[in-house]
This record gives sequence, structure tokens and C-alpha cells, in this order.
Amino acid sequence: MSSDTASRRTESLVEAEWIDSFGWLIRLRWVAGVGVLLITLTVKPVFNIQVPLQPLLITGAALLIYNLCFFLVERQLKRNLASPETYLRLGLWQVALDWLAMTLLIHFSGGIESPAIFFFIFHIVIASIFYPPRIAFYFSVLAVVLLSSIALLEYFSILPHQPAVGFLREPLYQNPFYVAGILLFFISTALIVAYLVIRISDRLRRREHEVVQLTENLQRASARLQALNEGARTVNSTLELSQVLNRLVKSTAEVMGVRACSIRLLDKERKRLETVATFGLSQAYLEKGPIDLESNPLAREVLDGKIVNVPDVRQTTLLQYPDWAVQEGISSMLSAPLVGKNKTLGILRLYSEEKDHFTADDETFLAAIAAQGSVAIENAMAYQAIEDLDANKSTFVRMVTHELRSPVSVTRSLLRTITAGYAGDVSPQQRDILERASRRTDYLQKLIDDLLDLAAGKMKETQQGDLEPVVLEEVVQRVVNRFTVPAQEKQLSLEYRKPTGEGNLLVLAIPEDLDRVFNNLVSNAVKYTLPHGSVTITLSIYQGEARVSVEDTGIGIPEGAMQHLFEEFYRAPNAKELDREGTGLGLTIVKDIVTRFGGQISVRSEPGQGTCFTVTFPIIKAPRMK
Amino acid sequence: MNPKRILIVDDDPDQRLTLRLPLVNAGYAISEATSLEEGLNAVQKDKPDLIILDVMMDTMTSGFQFALTIHSNDPKSAYKEFHKTPIVMLTSIHSKTPMRFRPDEDYLPVEEFLEKPVEPEVLLETVRKHLAG
Repeated sequence: MSSDTASRRTESLVEAEWIDSFGWLIRLRWVAGVGVLLITLTVKPVFNIQVPLQPLLITGAALLIYNLCFFLVERQLKRNLASPETYLRLGLWQVALDWLAMTLLIHFSGGIESPAIFFFIFHIVIASIFYPPRIAFYFSVLAVVLLSSIALLEYFSILPHQPAVGFLREPLYQNPFYVAGILLFFISTALIVAYLVIRISDRLRRREHEVVQLTENLQRASARLQALNEGARTVNSTLELSQVLNRLVKSTAEVMGVRACSIRLLDKERKRLETVATFGLSQAYLEKGPIDLESNPLAREVLDGKIVNVPDVRQTTLLQYPDWAVQEGISSMLSAPLVGKNKTLGILRLYSEEKDHFTADDETFLAAIAAQGSVAIENAMAYQAIEDLDANKSTFVRMVTHELRSPVSVTRSLLRTITAGYAGDVSPQQRDILERASRRTDYLQKLIDDLLDLAAGKMKETQQGDLEPVVLEEVVQRVVNRFTVPAQEKQLSLEYRKPTGEGNLLVLAIPEDLDRVFNNLVSNAVKYTLPHGSVTITLSIYQGEARVSVEDTGIGIPEGAMQHLFEEFYRAPNAKELDREGTGLGLTIVKDIVTRFGGQISVRSEPGQGTCFTVTFPIIKAPRMK
Repeated sequence: MNPKRILIVDDDPDQRLTLRLPLVNAGYAISEATSLEEGLNAVQKDKPDLIILDVMMDTMTSGFQFALTIHSNDPKSAYKEFHKTPIVMLTSIHSKTPMRFRPDEDYLPVEEFLEKPVEPEVLLETVRKHLAG
């Protein structure tokens, strides 16, 4: 926000208060008017003092009438949202009329002898509060002139004296000492009061300005903090390094309200800075060349931990490429170090098209952003390192297993040619031994295949582009068909329940992998359910997601095994007992695949009663249900 | 009647043995080649009725090149008399690899994929099916 609009806002707030006090004066005047009428009517019966009744009552009534006018006008002004200038002009009228009324009151209650002259002080105070010093001063001079005029005109009998009969034992208005004394003290009191009030209210007004300014600053700071908070939330909502960096530069430039922002990180040798993310800079500027620490004093200073403000890029010797900045339209820069736990990571820099744009406030604020950003960047870096490690490990596993697969597969085939009798006769004992060897190679083969699946899945995150819309219902149907015969052989009832509806239920997936998920789940269900049991596969739409549950009446999963179920190579004890040759990788693979497709898997089981696995996937197209 | 001729193109001698034994047993005449080049020569020389081809020999794609050459629709092709000879491709590329293959007329002119290890019964059944057709 520019300082111009800020000061305009400040004024408007002061004016708002002024407008408010306008109403307050009107309310005060009601009291004054009524007071004049009451006192006029009561001095005679109560104090036996006689005053010119008629003129005083008229003055009091006039006071109330013009106040009524002001009251109506003010309501109108408020409704029309009149400008403060209108109020100010109306205010002058008020003061003028008030002073006229005051003068009349004084005149009709004894002139210089009237005790009401003290009331003039109120008026001076009020005028001094609401008007600028000079106008307030004129008003107090006017008060002095008015009162002196009455006193002198009555003294010289030019104006008829209107005594409050019974108030004084003898008239004083022609007593020169009295008149001179009162006038002298009144004049000095009026001027001193005016001076004091002007001083005080001026100070108050200045304070008021300061408060408004402070409020402004606080509001701006609060807006920034909010933006910072939001920025931090966006930045932290991902662990992917490039995303973290890009979000950081964008939100920082936006929060600080400047043209551009960049992040440069130190390379491994810590000799150069590499631009890793920018917002608002042209491609040409980014291609200006490498940033060598040796020839870039600014970068060195920042990396030493300082926040460096370059108010004018034309006037600095700190930059390596000042001409490029000028050409890019950049006039000032502010740089803060990005400092990690153990080392400096790089530089966060803001660019403004304005000279001298950055303030001390901006420096503090950028430092705060840089501190937060550093944490996010370091987290993302750590996460990436872990991911890389995992990917490397998976690549290794994949290479090894791939090499293993070929010989195992051939060995298996070779054994099979003998047991199938293609290589001549073998004795029953030889056949038995060969079949045992064959079973072992089968197991080895399966283990290798599972490991390959797992490693391939972990090698890289599935990209959205790899996925295709798959008709879920068909994939499940194929798997169910595959197990119809094995289930019959085991005397299990195998049932597939699906919703009746038009159209297909589509999910985003890789068909083979999706097949593998249900193949593993149904295969497990068939394997771990004893004869005469049942396996039920149910496809449904639940809370906007596609849900497939595979429920069996099998041996169940012991409670202690639940938490390890999806761990690599883990097999529940009762499963091992029933089938010695499982790899313990099937469910790990299932979970891996389901997660990659944005789905979830859950399981509930009752040992000895059965197990139900449920997988859910986001739907990209739902069928029309009947 | 002369037995049907089958050409096995595979660089792994053990693998060739596991393929040859059941096929010989079933009465087919077998010839073998250990490389792409040898395979192409053998096609001209032995005029097989069916070719069993390993997908990965020297390079990842040499098996495919072989299939494309044999099945070329180019009328000037040296192999045009074989462009309808069925090819059964053996894959040990697990389905998880970035290249996922499906028999597809435009993309890959082979008749069948068999994943290693191949069961002898499955092999015989597949061969029988394509030779009958």
C-alpha cells in the first residue's frame, strides 16, 4: 500500500470522528437551550431576581429552534453521506449562531455584571477543540471583542443596560475598576484557555493520527502474517522439492507485493549459485549466466547470513550482472539467506521495479519468510534424498531379480521337460526328487516375480499420464472367472455381486496392476478358506468412491498379525501353517498398487471366522444406477 | 506327409533345449538359430511353418525387428513368402516394465506371446493352434 492512500485513510478516520462530534454538539445544545429557558423562568420565583423575561425566553427558544434546524440538516447530511467539508462549513454557522446567542444572553442578564460570562469560556474551549489553531484563535478574539463591546457600550450608555434586578446590591457596569478588572481577567482567561486547549487538542490530534497510522501498520502486518501463514501452508502442503520452491517464490512475491522473486541454491562444491525457482522474471534474465561466488560480492554477503538491501541497482558495485537487472526493469533488490540446520542453502531474493522500495520492515519480514522457507526446502530435500535412495534400492533389486529370473525360469523348464517325460524314462524316486526340485524353483520363480513387481512399483512414482480409465467391473469379473475352477475344486462357493446400472464404473489405473490387486486378494481368499466355505466379491459405490470387498469365511488373521500384514515378507503364522510357499509379498504389492492409484485398502478379520479386504478407488465416471 | 517345420530363435541353449524336447516328441521337425542374423538365414533355408522367437536376444528390440522383417507387407520384401508364417514370441519381460506389450496388428506383427517359463503343455497347445490355422 502506498503512503499516499494510507494518509488519506488516516484523515478520513479523523474526519469521521469530527462528524461524530457534530452530533454531540447538537445534543449539548438541547441541554443549553432548555437550561436557558428553565433558569430564566426560575430566577424570579426562586431567587427573587428579576431579569428581562421576554428577550431571554426568545433567545432560549431561538437557540432550540436553530438547533432543531441543525438536527434535521445533520440527519439529511448523514443520509447523503455528505463530505466532511460540508460539516465543517455547517460547524462555522453553529459557532456563529451560538456566539450570537451567548452575547444576547450576557447582554440581557446584566452585561458585564452577568455571571453567564463564564459560559463564554465553554464556547472558546469547544471552538478550540474542533477548529484548527488559527480559526480557534480568531474565535477567542471575537469573544473578547463581543464581551468588551457589550461592556463598553453599556458603560458609555450607548446600549441600554439590562440589569438582573436583585442580583447585585448596586450596579457595577459603570464602575471603571470593575469593568476594567473583569475585562482584563476575562480577556487573559479566554486567550490562555484558547492557547492551552489548542495546544492540547493539537497534540491529541497528532496522537490520533499516530494511532490511525499505527492501526494501518498493524493491519498491514496482520495481512502479511496471514499471507505468510497461507504461503507457508501452501509451501508445506507438498514434499516435492520443485513444487516447494515454486510455491515459495510465488507466494513470497505476492505477499511482499513485488514484481519478482527467485531462489538460488548453492551447488555441491559451494562455489556457484544455481537458480532453481523464479517468479516474475523473464527467460532472458535467467539466462544471464552462472553466479560465481567469487565475482558476486552480494551473494557472498548474503550467504554470510546478512540481509542485503540494494536500493538502486544502478548505484551498486555488489552485483555481478547489474546491466541485466536494469534491462529487466529491476531497480531494487532485497536478498535474504536461506539457512538450513547445518549449513547455508542459498538465497531468497525479491525484485522491485521501484527504487528504494524495500523498508526495514520488509527486511524483517523477508527474513521470517526465508527462515520458514528454509525448513520447507530442507524437508523436501531430505524427502527427495530418501526417495532417491528408495528408487536406487529398487533399481538394484530389480536388476538383480531380473538377472535371477532367466536362469531360474530355464531351470524350471528343464526340470519340467524331464518330469513331463520328454527326455526319456525316469525312475519313480528320480521323478519324486525332480518334482521336489521343481516345486522349489516354482517358489523361487514366484518370489522373484513378486520382488520385481514391488521394485518396479517403487522405482518411480506413477505419473498421472501412465494411468488410463479402466472399467473396474470387467477387471474384477476377469479375476473372478479365473478362480471359478480352483474354487470349485476346493468346494468353495465363489460369488460376485455388483450393482445393476447402465454404463461403466471407470477408475484411473493400469489394467495389469489392477488385475494383480484383485488376483492377489481373491487368490488369498481361496487359498485360506477351508472346503465348503465361501468367497464373496462385492463391487459397490460408497461415499462417492468405488469399493471392492473380498470377503471369505477362511481361517482369519490373528490379532497380533494385523499390524504387520502389509509388511514385506511378513506371513501370519496360521497362513504359514496352511501354505508353506507364500512369499509374503502379495499384500505389500497390493497396498503399493492401490496407493499409487489414489485408493485405500483396509482389512477386518475374525480369527477362525473369516476376513474381509476392502479397497476403494476414486471414481472418474460412475454408471447411472437403476 | 512331411512333418511341420518349426524354427526356434533363441540365444540361450538351455532354453532352446526345453522348447525342442516336447516339440520333437510331438513329431515336429525343429531347426534352431542363436541370433537374429542366423534366424533370418534359417528362415530362407529351412522355410519353417512356424517360428518361436525370443523377445530379448542381443538388444531389447532385436526380436521385434526380426518379427517386423519376416512379417513385412512390402511386396519387394525378401521374406514375402513368410509374411503369414505364424510367430510365437517368448517374453521374459515382466509385465511391469515400461514397455507393456499386447499383440497388435499395427504395432507388433506376432501371433502369440508366451511368458517364460513356458509349460510344455502350453507350448504344444499354442503351436498346434497356430499350425492348424
